[in-house]
Amino acid sequence: MKTKLTIAGLVIALFLGARGPNSFARGDGFNDAVRTIEQFYHVKHQNIPLLARAGMKAVRTAARIKGGDYRRLAEAGSIRVVFFEDQNFDSRGQIASFKAALQSTLIAEWSPLVQTLTPKDEEQTYIYVRDAGAKFSVLVVTIERHEATVVQATVTPEILAELMKDPGDMGKALTDDATINDN
Amino acid sequence: MKLLFQTSWKLAAVFLLLLFGTVVTIRAQGAKLQLDQLDVLANKASETVDVRLDERLMQTTAKFFSGKDPDDAEIKEVLKGVKGIYVKSFTFDKDGEYSPAEVESVMSQLRSGTWSKILTVTSKKAGENVAVYLNTAGDQINGLVVLSVEPREFTVVNIVGPIDLEKLSKLEGQFGVPDLGIEKEKTKKKD
Repeated sequence: MKTKLTIAGLVIALFLGARGPNSFARGDGFNDAVRTIEQFYHVKHQNIPLLARAGMKAVRTAARIKGGDYRRLAEAGSIRVVFFEDQNFDSRGQIASFKAALQSTLIAEWSPLVQTLTPKDEEQTYIYVRDAGAKFSVLVVTIERHEATVVQATVTPEILAELMKDPGDMGKALTDDATINDN
Repeated sequence: MKLLFQTSWKLAAVFLLLLFGTVVTIRAQGAKLQLDQLDVLANKASETVDVRLDERLMQTTAKFFSGKDPDDAEIKEVLKGVKGIYVKSFTFDKDGEYSPAEVESVMSQLRSGTWSKILTVTSKKAGENVAVYLNTAGDQINGLVVLSVEPREFTVVNIVGPIDLEKLSKLEGQFGVPDLGIEKEKTKKKD
């Protein structure tokens, strides 16, 4: 019995090891959201080259929030981004099903904050929030007809309070903060 | 025997505290409408907005509204005690894209004893009807619902917790609460 358990353990360890560093950890909202998009829309995300990631860390963007002339929204080094480019996002009239799928994936750990959907153009924005100690983690999923972005960032409660005043613009502000490099 | 008596009292006290907490929670929850059944409308709507600001998020962020900015100070005052803001808004390209059953699924919850319609306004846009419902227990306001029904738009705003009705319009255009034209209608009425 003990031998069988040892063999089983070795097989599992080998399997997990073989998945490599890019594999997704279970229970991580960011990776779960990416996986849900891939499964529902039959698309594949692109990894961002290392240099591009370095550029993102130096990003400064015009925040689209009241009184927020050039200011950084997300905490330095806290941003995780995944892109889907030149792919076809078509929910075939079942956009509510995708919303439900994403919700059931994230609901255990994340609170839904804002969700906007325009099915005609397949445009969707989902913003989820969860505690990150004294700060908040914000997960933004943006989908359009041919591209999508998943951004996770840590923000201070002060920034979150500002963003919450206009939740509709919140997703765009955070996604821009994570992806536009105007240096 | 004495020990048993003391333990029983302690247990009774804990039970009463738990019961009190449960009653308070149930009251607050009673003002929160079940709106998830409306989600299917997203397939037909040309635009859907769904905002959920729960108590923890409201209270954590409310304290960061500056008291120096007059607008922020007013919002901070309005939000005092608010346990949640929930908005579902659907816009349609054609008339008749949503059924009376969907409106009824909300209205049926508002027919319970704790809800009463306090205001019906015809807003600036022709054909748009806005009704305001209040959930009360004695003098205590537990929540509020703004229901806007028009041929190509269906919006439900549910605010859970005490709120000053005079200041309700301050939330329009903030926190995902759409501009329902309440302020203008009230001004018109005063004229």
